[in-house]
Amino acid sequence: MTFHRVLQAFMLVLFLVLLYLAAFPLVSPLPVDLFLRMDPLILVGTIISARSLVPALLLAAFLLVTTFFLGRFFCSYLCPMGTTIDMADRVVRRGITGGSPLPSSLRTLKYLVLFFVLGAALLGVSLVFLVSPLSLITRFYAVVIFPVAALIADTGLNALRGAADIFGLTILPAAAIEAPRYVLVWFVVAVFAVVFGCAAISPRFWCRYLCPAGALFALCSRRPVVRRVVDDRCILCGLCRQQCPMDAICEDPMKTRFGECIACEECVRVCPVDAVRFTYPVHDQGDGETLFSGRRRQLVWSGLFGIGAALVSLAGLHRVQGQTILGQIIPPSLIRPPGALPEQDFLARCMRCGECMKACPTNTLQPIGLITGFPALASPVITPRRGPCEPLCNVCGQVCPTGALRDLSPGEKIWAKVGTAYVIRHKCLAWEFDSECLICDEVCPFDAVTLKRVPEIGVVVPFVDEKKCNGCGFCEYQCPVQGQSAIVVEPMDALRLEAGSYKQQATELGFSFEMKQKADFEPGQGDAGFEDTLPPGFTE
Amino acid sequence: MDSRSLFQALFRAEDTFRKGLTRREFITSQARGALLFAAGASGLVIPSRVLAAGETDIAIARGGPGPATRAAVGLLGGMGAFVKPGSKVVIKPNMSFARGPESATNTDPEVVRELVAMCREAGASRVRVLDHPLRPNEQCIEGVSEACRVFGDDLVQALEDEDFYREITLPQAEKFRKTEVMKEVLDADVLIAAPVAKAHSSTGVSLSLKGMMGLIRNRTIMHWRYDLSSAIVDLCTFLRPQLVVIDGTRVLTTNGPGGPGKVLKMDTIIASRDMVAADAQAIELFEWYGRKMQPRQVKHISIAHERGLGRMDIHNLITRKVQV
Repeated sequence: MTFHRVLQAFMLVLFLVLLYLAAFPLVSPLPVDLFLRMDPLILVGTIISARSLVPALLLAAFLLVTTFFLGRFFCSYLCPMGTTIDMADRVVRRGITGGSPLPSSLRTLKYLVLFFVLGAALLGVSLVFLVSPLSLITRFYAVVIFPVAALIADTGLNALRGAADIFGLTILPAAAIEAPRYVLVWFVVAVFAVVFGCAAISPRFWCRYLCPAGALFALCSRRPVVRRVVDDRCILCGLCRQQCPMDAICEDPMKTRFGECIACEECVRVCPVDAVRFTYPVHDQGDGETLFSGRRRQLVWSGLFGIGAALVSLAGLHRVQGQTILGQIIPPSLIRPPGALPEQDFLARCMRCGECMKACPTNTLQPIGLITGFPALASPVITPRRGPCEPLCNVCGQVCPTGALRDLSPGEKIWAKVGTAYVIRHKCLAWEFDSECLICDEVCPFDAVTLKRVPEIGVVVPFVDEKKCNGCGFCEYQCPVQGQSAIVVEPMDALRLEAGSYKQQATELGFSFEMKQKADFEPGQGDAGFEDTLPPGFTE
Repeated sequence: MDSRSLFQALFRAEDTFRKGLTRREFITSQARGALLFAAGASGLVIPSRVLAAGETDIAIARGGPGPATRAAVGLLGGMGAFVKPGSKVVIKPNMSFARGPESATNTDPEVVRELVAMCREAGASRVRVLDHPLRPNEQCIEGVSEACRVFGDDLVQALEDEDFYREITLPQAEKFRKTEVMKEVLDADVLIAAPVAKAHSSTGVSLSLKGMMGLIRNRTIMHWRYDLSSAIVDLCTFLRPQLVVIDGTRVLTTNGPGGPGKVLKMDTIIASRDMVAADAQAIELFEWYGRKMQPRQVKHISIAHERGLGRMDIHNLITRKVQV
């Protein structure tokens, strides 16, 4: 095992551990989104599309600067996408020998991808999520691999407990691993099937030809201070060229395409005469390629296509412009997580990395499909039927790398109203079927549901006090009615603040979200309305 | 007459028929009850344990949560009368809400701790305190968990995952015949119900009968497929605690089960072998929405009485009181 492989494995494990630690309550020695912060495409894309700088992302800027000195070491040592692709390559390329049948010139494709994304970002439309390696790989592990792993672990735990029971032992009597579940998983799997499958064509296909973050690193790696140097012991055997995963070595093995070289030092290891070093060169051996190899016109076109794509998106019906514009369609299921910026700013920053979905303790955060158009694909929404938004939890904002979800204190978060519940009376067991049911009232953490007696109905029926409802969705989650819940949350009156205090804003608007924590009873509150009638639940 | 109004007429007719039948059934069952009672009064079929020189049916103890619990169970012959050495015990308190004892939505942790202690003293080999809470588990069981920590770490559990449940049939049920019950409960020798006394906006009160819903996995089906009150009784034909200890130290008398509501400090513990009698006693002893209610005004209690699960005619039972 080489030093390179060890470091790579360590970084992948660190990435996975941090992703695992993205959970509520958040306990982690390092920021759980550390690796996302290293992605220069997220940095540059967000700066352009959101027109602001996210300080946490400056780690990527630091790495870009480091690249001027050390080359694209990020790609070979740090990038979990790269490491995962290396692992896939090992499996897929078993038995395949020889290099890529594709022309080296195809590597410019990644610059075209980069310019396309940045072109769209100029108009505030962020397509970074489609091609950012860290967004892709975080999403892959968060919504595909972790749920599968949890399912296996839970099955294993049960088997273990069953076996222990036979011997009269009690192992973890109440431990259960509840596997999270996500929609759109096959979409993510399909993307990665293609990424991994392309290994059959060439090793590190994604990194060579497509990765726009790699392209950004390549731009800083024209002639790194420490770089590949071949001395005159070279016998021109061409082995290094054959083994280079990045196709970074020219016909003349003395020459290197530094923009492509990821400093993995495979060439050093395979050289039979020990002629290759990574060091500061005494004599410059020259870069093996000219920048963009005379394809600047294509780059401009790609940027223009990006702008065009953004224009098409902006002109689409489903773009949510604001909360109160007539004639626009806001889907009733578009319940954004608490602390989400106003929709356009939110989409300009959200990387669809899935950190918030991974961290959400109730699994209510799910990626959406195309309900508000393509640029919102895979962004998170609260899905109350799946789970409520836990009032005491504020983890989604804590783990968001770009600030698309604001990092709110628990005290503030309660005031970040995400929607309002309303009763669908024709589905409600009490309203429509005269059945004894009060689950919505029972589970509401804010006492926003009250039960009243109304004429001609034998049981008490629920009413929502919209000033006390912050849209958490406990009622919709627990409603016993099958199919659509008889009490549903819609994004009505959701607070979306760019800055400032949610508490202040909510209070100004007359909202009051007090948790039913203590015996905070005031006479007339819970027993009101039953002075002249039978108390609720009793019969004559 | 078009087909629609024909249908309506048919439905009306059927409805009347059904109502008639129900009423007739009701009268029959009432008659049966009265007969039984008459027979009982004449000493013909009265259960032997009642004859055994004034054995206590309902024990009422007043005092602090722990001592009153011990005293109430003491009046029934002590925990040893229920828990034999080596037996496995499940205690079912109310731990459904993430709120402190002062809100009276959960059983007082001290009551639960005292019960666990008494079970241990009686020689129980395994004691578990179980519930299936509505809010996130850790927040709900925190209080009871903390109180019971002296007896071990894994005593108090909120079970959610399907692996902890086993599907069973309820042989004596009328309609609600199948459900998944906690395995721990199915494997236990003794079940102790330890509900807090509280109002419940859909079932009037939530006491020992209603509390059994916290031992099964899918409770919502009881709301939408069945009549909730009958389904509770169906469930209790199977889940029949040997001992009921109702925590009336604080009583949530309005806006239950979640509150916030009017909490009265009553310093009372009610214990009985009979779920229905214990619940009925709690209804009579405390006020609900500021007034006195009768056990028969709670549908699931009167159904349970009719179906012979226990007796709500507590004035015909032997009640003992003690002050500690």
